[in-house]
Amino acid sequence: MSRIVLLAALIYLIVLAGVGTLNGTMVALALPLVLYLLAGLWRGPEEMHLSAERTISAERVAPGDSVFVHLTITNHGGALEQVLLHDPLPAFLSVVEGASSRLVNLPARGSISWSYTLQGKRGSHYFENIQAIAEDRLGLMVKRAALPTRGQLLILPSISRVRHIPIQPRQTRVYSGVIPAHQGGTGIEFFGLREYQVGDSPHHINWRVSARQDDVIYSNEYEQERVADVGIVLDGRRKVNEFGGRRSIFEDSVLASVAVASSLLAEGNRVGLFIYGKRNRWTSPGYGKYQRERIMQDLALAETGESQNFSSLIIPRRLFPPNSQIILISPLSGGDVSLLAQLRARGYQLLVISPDPVSFEARGLGDSPSVKLATRIARLQREVLLRELRHTGVQVVNWDVGRPFEQAVRSALSRPTAFLHAIQRGQGKR
Amino acid sequence: MTRNLVYASILACTAALTYGFAANDFVPISITVALLGIAWIVLFMHGLHRFSSLAFSIFIIISLASLWADVPPLLALAGVIFSLLAWDLTRFFQRLQNTSSPQDARKTERAHFARLALVIGLSLAGYFAATRIHVTLTFGAAALLALLGIWGISALVYRLRSHE
Repeated sequence: MSRIVLLAALIYLIVLAGVGTLNGTMVALALPLVLYLLAGLWRGPEEMHLSAERTISAERVAPGDSVFVHLTITNHGGALEQVLLHDPLPAFLSVVEGASSRLVNLPARGSISWSYTLQGKRGSHYFENIQAIAEDRLGLMVKRAALPTRGQLLILPSISRVRHIPIQPRQTRVYSGVIPAHQGGTGIEFFGLREYQVGDSPHHINWRVSARQDDVIYSNEYEQERVADVGIVLDGRRKVNEFGGRRSIFEDSVLASVAVASSLLAEGNRVGLFIYGKRNRWTSPGYGKYQRERIMQDLALAETGESQNFSSLIIPRRLFPPNSQIILISPLSGGDVSLLAQLRARGYQLLVISPDPVSFEARGLGDSPSVKLATRIARLQREVLLRELRHTGVQVVNWDVGRPFEQAVRSALSRPTAFLHAIQRGQGKR
Repeated sequence: MTRNLVYASILACTAALTYGFAANDFVPISITVALLGIAWIVLFMHGLHRFSSLAFSIFIIISLASLWADVPPLLALAGVIFSLLAWDLTRFFQRLQNTSSPQDARKTERAHFARLALVIGLSLAGYFAATRIHVTLTFGAAALLALLGIWGISALVYRLRSHE
């Protein structure tokens, strides 16, 4: 019930009771309520004519960076005794200094300016209209207005740098880069020998081998290094990323995606990104800083979604032909092995970077004996899952998110993969 | 400050009416009033501010009824004024929570208290003037005056609401 109506009802009640009992003292009890009502009418808010201007110090920032928001509200109408000016903040942004709402007196033709400082989580945040609620001093008359003003703040993912990610796709592009192309030519790494051809540099002649032959001179051949097509797939399925207590490992997956994309783009590769989450989104492949910016913007918007499995994960052949490199960033679940095996069977070279959900979840559960036992069982299951993947020829980086990403990548990829070890062991036995 | 004033107002209106009824040997009613006052305080403490209108209405009706129980009119007036204060300050307290600026809150508090003091001062002055001036009216004249008053209040309410 409105406060005015309640007051009026009580006044009627008192007056009628007083008149009915012919009791003047009783009628006089209505006086405080009547005066209170009159005070509401006196200098109540008039029609609001306000305009607002919002200035945001930056449009895109890194998480943890402070953003200054400056607001100016101008009153083009009559005086407003008490007006609440509220700048509704998007979710996941919080005020660290100052105030996003003010309760002020705005004189006629006057204005007020103030600033506050924000910080927030990764994402694209849209600012809405500023809410103005004008009231008389006693709060009996209320007038509301939405002051049109817009703003957007993009908080990019955190950046973790990785110097080099050693990938070995079966197919490369024609441009020179740093990925071994399995073809002889100009390069740094020794690839093989071939007969000397006119035009070969004398520095490339392998004198030791040529000396053992009668009429033939051999030249060293080096492995060509080129750029490659790389598709990064970020797994944003809620069931593998989120755990009890609203803890999520997804931010670590995003961080890994940024690091991988930045490193590969810096080496000249053609990189695309597919986010498999709340909305499935492709960032079509491209080169250079512009592509990095596109990927960063798409990663800023990445959110986890309800998909249960990778049923709709289709790698477009037009963008990524078979034999190109796919990097899946996912905590993984038991049912993923078959799909990844299918991708391998289609000819894709697959690298899985898997933030370890077991150690991540165990950290938040304490160290009781039952938790330790459960962790051990979960770790064994994961080990089996990763082993199955390696058996299908997938390179796997098991990343304990408590360690720096670069350290995990370096230690996992700087040595030959498990299946290469197995091949070498097999050759040794023969 | 506003929070403390809400507690003080509820306590004051409860104490005035409890004392008034107890002094006239209406002990069960005075205990009921005391319990209602405690309930109001507990509801406010738990942030259930929407019940303040109900509590305010109940205390106004009790103040009105106290006159039939021969409670001194000044205690009934205290019941009305302090319950009005408690109801108003509860709403004001909610409004203050919408602003995160302490300076604004202090300024607004000062202005609000000044307006309330004006209303209370005028109410007391009006009440004492009304109880001092004795005019003998017939029932018809009193009823006409009451109708006039009701029409005036209705016009006022209509105007206030049409401005919203």
